[in-house]
Amino acid sequence: TEGPPSCPKGCDRCSEYNGCVKCKPKLFIFLERNDIRQVGVCLASCPVGYFGMRNPEGNNRCTQCKIDNCEACFNRNFCTKCKEGLYSHSGRCYVSCPPGQRTANETMEC
Amino acid sequence: AGVRVDGSGDAEAGRASCPGRCRCELDGLLLRVDCSDLELRAVPSDLSVFTSYLDLSMNNMTLISAGALSSLHFLQELRLPGNDLSFIPKGAFAGLYNLKVLMLQNNQLRSVPAEAFNNLHNLQSLRLDANHISGVPAGSFSGLRSLRHLWLDDNALTEVPAEALSELPALQAMTLALNHIRHVPDHAFSALGRLVVLHLNNNRIVSMGTNCFHGLHSLETLDLNYNQLMEFPTAIRSLRHLKELGFHSNKIQSIPDHAFTGNPSLTTVFFYDNPIQSVGRTAFQNLPELRTLSLNGAAELNEFPDLTGTRSLESLTITGARITSLPTSVCEQLPNLQLLDLSYNQIQSLPSFSACESLQKLDLHHNEVEALEENTFTGLTSLRFLDLSWNRLSTVKPNGFSALPALNRLDLSSNQLSSLPLSGLQTLTHLRLAGNGQLMELIAREDLPRVRWMELPYAFQCCAFISCDRKGGSSWEKEEAVEAAGRDAAVLSSQAEPDWEDFLMEFEDGPKPQHAVHCSPTPGPLRPCRHLLG
Repeated sequence: TEGPPSCPKGCDRCSEYNGCVKCKPKLFIFLERNDIRQVGVCLASCPVGYFGMRNPEGNNRCTQCKIDNCEACFNRNFCTKCKEGLYSHSGRCYVSCPPGQRTANETMEC
Repeated sequence: AGVRVDGSGDAEAGRASCPGRCRCELDGLLLRVDCSDLELRAVPSDLSVFTSYLDLSMNNMTLISAGALSSLHFLQELRLPGNDLSFIPKGAFAGLYNLKVLMLQNNQLRSVPAEAFNNLHNLQSLRLDANHISGVPAGSFSGLRSLRHLWLDDNALTEVPAEALSELPALQAMTLALNHIRHVPDHAFSALGRLVVLHLNNNRIVSMGTNCFHGLHSLETLDLNYNQLMEFPTAIRSLRHLKELGFHSNKIQSIPDHAFTGNPSLTTVFFYDNPIQSVGRTAFQNLPELRTLSLNGAAELNEFPDLTGTRSLESLTITGARITSLPTSVCEQLPNLQLLDLSYNQIQSLPSFSACESLQKLDLHHNEVEALEENTFTGLTSLRFLDLSWNRLSTVKPNGFSALPALNRLDLSSNQLSSLPLSGLQTLTHLRLAGNGQLMELIAREDLPRVRWMELPYAFQCCAFISCDRKGGSSWEKEEAVEAAGRDAAVLSSQAEPDWEDFLMEFEDGPKPQHAVHCSPTPGPLRPCRHLLG
């Protein structure tokens, strides 16, 4: 079933000023910055620097990764893809591997 | 940066050909192809062999036929979320030797495909969340020797797929959250020696094998929140590297002695919203990395816990218990304490807090403290907020507050004070004394030079802080009118009356340049400044 005609794709409820305010089940709401406004859009997967937090009520949201030098994360504290040239170890990103860790250059991991 | 290629399908360009209506971008020698949201029913047939990224999200695909992608040897990321895939045949991903990321969330799968993922040797991230998966056949993850991240949350699993998981030696992060799992059996994760993060929140877990976490040598984060656990999960004992543990919103009634004895690396533990009645006295011992401990409503807890070896604690909250006294060594045990909240207990006397040099906030309201000694607060050079309201304070020694250079909020309301030593309170900005009926002495303004907000027992005591004889004398009427209007407004919105929390916010902005003092009860015609009772 499609949401109201004026709502963006994947959206169940929206407002003219704030875009989507409630997405269809299973999708994530992401607050896109538009000048001083934040406009809600509905995504199947969250953009770079964000991860999808699901909850039983279905208010799934894109939430910011809190790890330095991280492009994609599993949760707030565990990075799944570090920025180019950095090594990953236990979900964190390093310029060089911590002491005692060997460098695996092919996968950029310690 | 990539070079955009239009969707006209330029065959000669070979590498640069972009399937109709898709949006493509050259990325060095490879091609990034975005065919999302085009109402496609099948994988485009004219994909370039040099495609490294393919987004087929939010289309209407119900099937991926075997071999449909087999020429894409350079493909590293394949996105298929938001389609209607209910079945994926063997061979659907054949030929994808370099695939690293495969997204299948938000489809209609009822089971993990038994063979479709086999031998994707370089696959690192597999998303299967938000489907209707109730089973994970043994062998379905066979050959995924590089898989690091697995999403199976928001499905219909009723048990941990232990056998299938045993083929994922490189797994580092997994979520099984938002499923219907009721029991975690022993050795459920025993092959996952490199797992760092495990989410089991929002299931129906009632019980756990005492060895269910056996083998998780690298686990740092364990999320058991929002389950039906009745017993403390003693299985955590084997998790030596555990840093973050959550089991809030369960049905646990007690925390045993030595509960975290196997978790010396614990920095954070959340267990609120459990009907915890009793706590073993040694439950929180030897947690050298623990920063915050919060325990509310443990009604059977009548002794302050022994926190030996938990020296890094910065915030300790134990409210709603039956603690009657504190050990004299409380500050020696907790030298880094910044916040101590022991409100709603039955504490009758206080030790000296002088060794708690970092203490900034001390909340002891709703206890049974009767007296404050000379040395109770000596040495607390960082203390900014002290709440002793709703106690039985009748005696405060002359220098009881004399050594508190940073104190600016003091709440002594609802006690039995008849006098108050002001020595040392020059830094106060907020003072509450209401509810001390025998405290009738006048407070001199110069004793509290920086005060801005006061609640005193009697209106006449406010006169020193609000100049009573205003020009024209009409200010009473105006003030009465304003106050009456204020009261009406208060009926409509309970937040019209400034309360303590508002002033906590105001405190963050720092002292107001213009030194207006809010003092209540406000003197007025019915509550004259001259104290009629002499």
